[in-house]
Amino acid sequence: MAQTRRFELAMPPHVGASQTTRKIMFDVVIALLPALAAATWFFGPRALLIVFLSAATAVVAEYLCLKFMKRPVSFALDGSAIVTGMLLAFNLPSGVPFWLPVIGTAFAIVVGKQAFGGLGHNIVNPALLGRAFLMASFPILMTAGWIAPESWKTGTEGAWETNGIVLEEMSTIPEADAISGATPLNVLKQTFDLDASAANAQLEGNTSEAEGLEERAVSIRSALSSNSTYMNLLIGRTGGCLGETSVILLLVGAIYLVMRGVLELRLPISYLLTVAFFAWVFGGSGWFNGDPLFHVLAGGVVLGGIFMVSDMVTTPVTPKGRIIFGIGAGLLTMVIRRWGGYPEGCSYSILLMNLVTPLIDKFTLPKVFGEVKKNG
Amino acid sequence: MSLIKDLTKGIYHENPVFKLVLGMCPFLAVTTSVENALGMGAAATFVLICSNFLVSLFRNIIPSKVRIPCYIVIIATFVTLVDMVMNAYLPDLHRSLGIFIPLIVVNCIILGRAEGFANRNPVLNSIADAIGMGIGFTLAMVVLASFRELLGNGTWLNFNILGSAYQNQPLLIAILAPGAFILLSFILGFSNILEQRKGGRQ
Repeated sequence: MAQTRRFELAMPPHVGASQTTRKIMFDVVIALLPALAAATWFFGPRALLIVFLSAATAVVAEYLCLKFMKRPVSFALDGSAIVTGMLLAFNLPSGVPFWLPVIGTAFAIVVGKQAFGGLGHNIVNPALLGRAFLMASFPILMTAGWIAPESWKTGTEGAWETNGIVLEEMSTIPEADAISGATPLNVLKQTFDLDASAANAQLEGNTSEAEGLEERAVSIRSALSSNSTYMNLLIGRTGGCLGETSVILLLVGAIYLVMRGVLELRLPISYLLTVAFFAWVFGGSGWFNGDPLFHVLAGGVVLGGIFMVSDMVTTPVTPKGRIIFGIGAGLLTMVIRRWGGYPEGCSYSILLMNLVTPLIDKFTLPKVFGEVKKNG
Repeated sequence: MSLIKDLTKGIYHENPVFKLVLGMCPFLAVTTSVENALGMGAAATFVLICSNFLVSLFRNIIPSKVRIPCYIVIIATFVTLVDMVMNAYLPDLHRSLGIFIPLIVVNCIILGRAEGFANRNPVLNSIADAIGMGIGFTLAMVVLASFRELLGNGTWLNFNILGSAYQNQPLLIAILAPGAFILLSFILGFSNILEQRKGGRQ
């Protein structure tokens, strides 16, 4: 195996540029810091600790993998592992036990990235794969570990409140778990369950009960579409995954990335516009009456749109392909949110689109200059 | 000498799962617990021995044009036997193996041994080959099932190993379908690495 290489072979394109992997990755880390500050403010120091543990595990796991595969261990410090660790932590509920990010990140790096050959060879986004792994392995912790914003300051983590809807009221809804109602998207999903129960009651001839249920669903939905909810979602004072809540600070990071030339806008814009469009089409209770603003601000769409849809390794390289990717991921996100088993579909939609990325690239390859169309 | 070789080659050097990568369907599906793996292994081994014996016995009588249908008929006979006996005496195991008992009929390992070995070898060698392959298949399933049951349920052959604290939050993915694929790829990868390092030294 000990053959001497005269040239270091790297993945094409071979164009000299001032950008290096390390520079790009540390720009991404800097862009994540504002949202991290918001997470610490709203969910307490434990959020900071979760992110730190996750990033540290990522670097250690990467180092051990490279050592085992006898590759230069300096790759472990190129920053990509830190980004993966931070992004995974951003995708976790802030109330999870501290061993959970460690296991998730180790899986993300070992199976999601290094098993496929390291940076540039992974098929799907490692951070999202880590999240999917944790969702499959520890479904209860991953869907019930929400912490009410700012509750750590008063020591009242038990008082669940989301956007003005006291969760005690939610718990009176039949078959609705009080804790699982702690994110805005969960609340929305439960209003759809209310719709279904109302329709059932109507069928059984219980008209008064049906009207009561429907009334409550409508009132919760209008509370979700109020200006105060929008405001809370913008600044991040809401239940949700650690780093996804503060839309404004995520956008600050995005502006920094655009200024540094790291973020290519086709992917995030096509993704967010598609989410908004389909939110209007079928995001509400009927057709063409959904609330696009709520759907874009709530959940992980902005975090995913800025930092995961735009992952350089796992998304198409052609301009047309990037737009197709964004549209596909946006449509899948809304389909999962409206009809899927989980309230949020952002991570799964991006994972699914990651898998078809090679196909998209193949079909959107630009024509070589002077090439003649076959069978034309 | 060659009898012993036919017997032992299926256990490691030509292990049907790890080396020939055959029989993936039952291998991935029923390895959720060691108990299931042992049951499936025993059933497949029984069918394998009987079918290898009959195919080898009739190898000069069966016209080669219709040999595959003949193998299927022979194999299906014994699978039906196993299915009924298991249903009568081990109903719980039969229930948890479910559709994978009838599916032994189309198991690549059994068909592969009939076509690749019993078809052209004497009866005793064919039986030795079947025993070896059956043990190899069972061992491979027990290996994967051990990982899956231990990680996904905290137990091994229904004995509590990792304690109730672990069982409250087990690594659930290990007994789900993705866990089977991930663990299999790890086992195959590590066995390839071992092979390579061994080959490098020679």
